Amino acid sequence: MRTGVFEESYSELISLYRNPTQTYWTVALVLAALVAPLLLTNHLTSLVNGMMIAAVGVIGLNLLTGTTGLISFGQAGFLAVGGYTAAVLSADYGMPLWLCLPASGLMAAAFGLIVGIPSLRLKGLYLAITTMAFTIIITHIILSAESITHGSSGISTPKPAIFGVELATDKSFYYLILAILTLAILGSANIKRSRIGRAFLAIREQDIAARVMGVPVARYKLYAFVVSSFYVGVAGALMAYHIRFVNVDSFSLVISIEAVSMIIVGGLGSTAGAVIGVVFVLGLAEVLNYVIGSMGGTLGSVSVLELKGFIYGLTIVLFLRFEPEGLMGIYREYKNRWVNWPFRY
Amino acid sequence: MTVLLQVDNLVKKFGGVTAVNGVGFPVLKGEIFSLIGPNGAGKTTMFNLISRVLPVTSGTITLDGNDITRTAPHRIAPLGMGRTFQNLAVFKHASVVDNLLVGRHSHMKTSVLGGLLFGPTTRAAERAHRKRVEEIIDFLEIQHVRDVPVGALAYGLQKRVELGRALATEPKLLLLDEMVSGMNAEETEDIARFILDLKEELEITVMMIEHDMGIVTDISDHIAVMNFGERIAYGTPDEIRADPHVIEAYLGHKLQEDTEAVH
Repeated sequence: MRTGVFEESYSELISLYRNPTQTYWTVALVLAALVAPLLLTNHLTSLVNGMMIAAVGVIGLNLLTGTTGLISFGQAGFLAVGGYTAAVLSADYGMPLWLCLPASGLMAAAFGLIVGIPSLRLKGLYLAITTMAFTIIITHIILSAESITHGSSGISTPKPAIFGVELATDKSFYYLILAILTLAILGSANIKRSRIGRAFLAIREQDIAARVMGVPVARYKLYAFVVSSFYVGVAGALMAYHIRFVNVDSFSLVISIEAVSMIIVGGLGSTAGAVIGVVFVLGLAEVLNYVIGSMGGTLGSVSVLELKGFIYGLTIVLFLRFEPEGLMGIYREYKNRWVNWPFRY
Repeated sequence: MTVLLQVDNLVKKFGGVTAVNGVGFPVLKGEIFSLIGPNGAGKTTMFNLISRVLPVTSGTITLDGNDITRTAPHRIAPLGMGRTFQNLAVFKHASVVDNLLVGRHSHMKTSVLGGLLFGPTTRAAERAHRKRVEEIIDFLEIQHVRDVPVGALAYGLQKRVELGRALATEPKLLLLDEMVSGMNAEETEDIARFILDLKEELEITVMMIEHDMGIVTDISDHIAVMNFGERIAYGTPDEIRADPHVIEAYLGHKLQEDTEAVH
């Protein structure tokens, strides 16, 4: 029986897997993820695809808002930039998917740099409002730049294909999204165990002390914006391929609020928390859809959309009030309580 | 002895208030230098000016021959200056080790891409700097809490972590702002011992702000005294103890003089 975690070298301390148990569970999770589409229905696969795509973007948002402490409601805006970049490049210019994804990320990162500049002087609510304005402005730009974006009519994207292999079904597209999500998780975990991630955290906790320790705060805030929006841009591109259509309506401000609620529910600053938050919030929405659907589509005079908004709001309030560290906080608490049971430490 | 830090004629104005008014003094290499004075004398403002957190109104600051009067604050650590803060500025949600690793920031070269990929170079750097951090943890005797989030530690330990974080920047000059305030006698003695060790074992020059006159006169080589933004005395502990201006600032006028002033 394992009685504790013992490290014998510094390499073990910086490793992502600090003990065999973690490795076993990770392998089990990867295997489960690989066989999942074989067992799931088409509808569920599509739902999981949507969750994984959202997770890529929310992991990015988490680096910015959770780790660096810069509150952003620009998620929908960056998703739109990524989604439209992929749609325009693939539908109008015939660019392949493997080029569209990084291009969308880079385009969103460039916008991230622009939005990041006001963040150098703004904090908290003021930054939240600035990023919210960005989302609204992007929508207007897309609507008016008709020659590129086709305005309000939107763009249909071609079937996703990678290196000649067509990923026409949700089940085949699943594996591409899974690969990208894995890269996204690894990248986020890596950055957080390097000096970059520690600088992000230092800025969130005590920006003056971070500066005195030699962290160029302004530059690192921009780094946080660029890395985060790259993630979100890639997620936007995947969204375009997943829905096979982009339109400004897919990138409304509600998406930004939903994304922030996901990182709060999951646990701010935690990569795993970001993924769990996505599953929780989107899963809750799906359960609601199902319940209301089975009751005939309406709940008295209350519409599904109204009820969803109410439940989201209630979830955020309850988490902020009772468990500010989110589901990951609850998990950590239970883990600490049970890991050495029945001993105190 | 050579001068490590030279401050000349430093002035800081906040709107109409002159917080620091023409203050100057040398800090010699390898010494323990104390900056003392009553509350509101401008001591912490001096620290903020020297560590470049606040912009200087006029005057000059020279560190080891480099004029740093207009240097950006994040470039100060690589030049060899570390500091602690009066009201703890630790990274509360990060572990002790991670707090100290932030102090290593300017010694590391990992880029954003290097961080994302975490390749062999990044890995090797992390390993090497962790080793250095562990040495500092050993020095400060905080091994038992190394993985604990700093926010969960007792006040005295948090202060020690902050000292460790400053040490991790490998300073030539270390600014300590009221290290022992709020500490009991035993903790104060521990800190005094660490400061002497810093000077003797690591050859770090220490500049400290302190209210505890016991520790100041016991371990300082030179003392500067400030009052109402001005330097009113500079000298060895014995000279300072005998200085009439200092006695006046701390104890007030003699009753006799007060009565004379009234007449």
